[in-house]
Amino acid sequence: MRSFLFPALQSLFIALIVLSFYATSWLGEQFVLRAEPFDPVDPFYGEYVLLQYPDLKPSDSLQNGEIYFTLKQGDDGYAVIDRIDSQAFFGSIRGTYYNELITAPQLEQYYVEQGTGPDLEKARNLAVTLDVSPWGTIRPVYLDVRQD
Amino acid sequence: MDLERKLERWEKEGFIDQVAVKKILTFENQQPKPTKLPLLLIIGLIFFSLAVFSFIAANWQVMPALLKIGLVQLLMWMFYGFGYLAERKNFGRAIIFRLIGLAMFGASIIVTVQAFHFSVSNSILPWAIFIVTLAHYFYWRQFPYALIAFIAGAFVLMMSIPTMSWFEWGCFLAVTLAWFYFSHIDSSMVFSWSLLFASGLMLWILVDYETILWPIWTLFTLVFLLLSVPEKERLLGSLSLVVGAFQLVVYLTVRGAMDLSIPEINLVESISLLVVSVGVLVLTYLRFQSITWISVLGAVGLLLFDDTAIALAIVAEIVALAYLVIAHRQDRPLTFGFVYFIAVQFVLYFIYAWERLDMSLFFLVGAILLFVLSGIAWYVNRKKAGVAT
Repeated sequence: MRSFLFPALQSLFIALIVLSFYATSWLGEQFVLRAEPFDPVDPFYGEYVLLQYPDLKPSDSLQNGEIYFTLKQGDDGYAVIDRIDSQAFFGSIRGTYYNELITAPQLEQYYVEQGTGPDLEKARNLAVTLDVSPWGTIRPVYLDVRQD
Repeated sequence: MDLERKLERWEKEGFIDQVAVKKILTFENQQPKPTKLPLLLIIGLIFFSLAVFSFIAANWQVMPALLKIGLVQLLMWMFYGFGYLAERKNFGRAIIFRLIGLAMFGASIIVTVQAFHFSVSNSILPWAIFIVTLAHYFYWRQFPYALIAFIAGAFVLMMSIPTMSWFEWGCFLAVTLAWFYFSHIDSSMVFSWSLLFASGLMLWILVDYETILWPIWTLFTLVFLLLSVPEKERLLGSLSLVVGAFQLVVYLTVRGAMDLSIPEINLVESISLLVVSVGVLVLTYLRFQSITWISVLGAVGLLLFDDTAIALAIVAEIVALAYLVIAHRQDRPLTFGFVYFIAVQFVLYFIYAWERLDMSLFFLVGAILLFVLSGIAWYVNRKKAGVAT
């Protein structure tokens, strides 16, 4: 029966990953980010939309590389950057700043239902709903065409 | 029955008598027979599985994330269960079921990644498969787990290239060293040794110092590792020689054939490498004579400068010839020496004779002469052997 320890530990690992994402939603805050798509498809993981975020603007003093930021809701309801720094601080989202664009690894690509990727790409104006935990992890929960 | 035929033959040859034959047959007949599943049941199971998979595939897009992950996890548990039963009830092959179970673990990771838009630009997931597969290997000690662990380990290194930290590197080194030290089968030791070598190459990313000598430093470090398992000299020695020979050919190619911008070679580092290589020479000469050749690599640092590069070609050529001659005199296999010799000739040909017909003719004549001389030597040796008998 000791051999069943392997699937048990493997299931525990998967459960912990899943739980960490749900914890982000349960304990975190929800934001909606303006997003623009570019370039889809991953033969291994399926169809996804690569996204960039026009509202995530850096401060002038920021240099290219790893950055840390938090979000706040802007006047029009879409999220904008609250605080941004090149040093990590509690609750910050780890991302990168390169070529005038800010992104975070989990915000970069959004897996979509098979066949819906091209339509989302054509739409151009998209909105990503995401949960952000108090400790800085994020969980993208929804991607849709922006109505404004 | 195969056994009965063999016993009959052995009895005819007089190896065993009739009493022994009867005893063996009685013993074998008393052994539990492997349980075979009825053919119709197998066909039914295949159709049923196809129906279940078609149903899941048709509804995959609309399934909630947790259900998707749960389904793959269920499959994983099912196959581990089959593995357990296969071992207990003596049907099928347990390892096949467990390998499918392991694949289902990988599949559940992929489904989780997709369902929660988890970033794949880190090495957490390959790490999970690497550790899990290694645990399988240490529990069951079977070759396929070692092979999968090697592939997963290579993935860990590849995925962590942009983000590798000293901590992650240290963890990888510790895990791989433990794997190397507690490996019981040769293939597992070769796999772990290869990953240790690859982790040495990761220093290119970790250390803020531009050098092209990391592969040699790594190989020299791994020679000292042989002290912990001297009984594996034959296996690891051959591996070190192959990697060393490959390195010499690559350095020769990079330096001579291509117009690559090699980072500025540090004289102090080159001299340090030479000094260390003397230590490697002494150690290998005293303890592991079969790999003394790799100490030659210590001179590479000093032979990469513009003024000394010709000496690199000369060293490579001398080593190739000397290895062949000595291996021949010691009656050791010549295949490796020949492959290396030919590789060196090819590289030198492309460096010096490409686009120069007169030079290529010179090499061609040289090669023909070499063949003629070796033919004469072979004929003389054969004649001497004939006289001796």
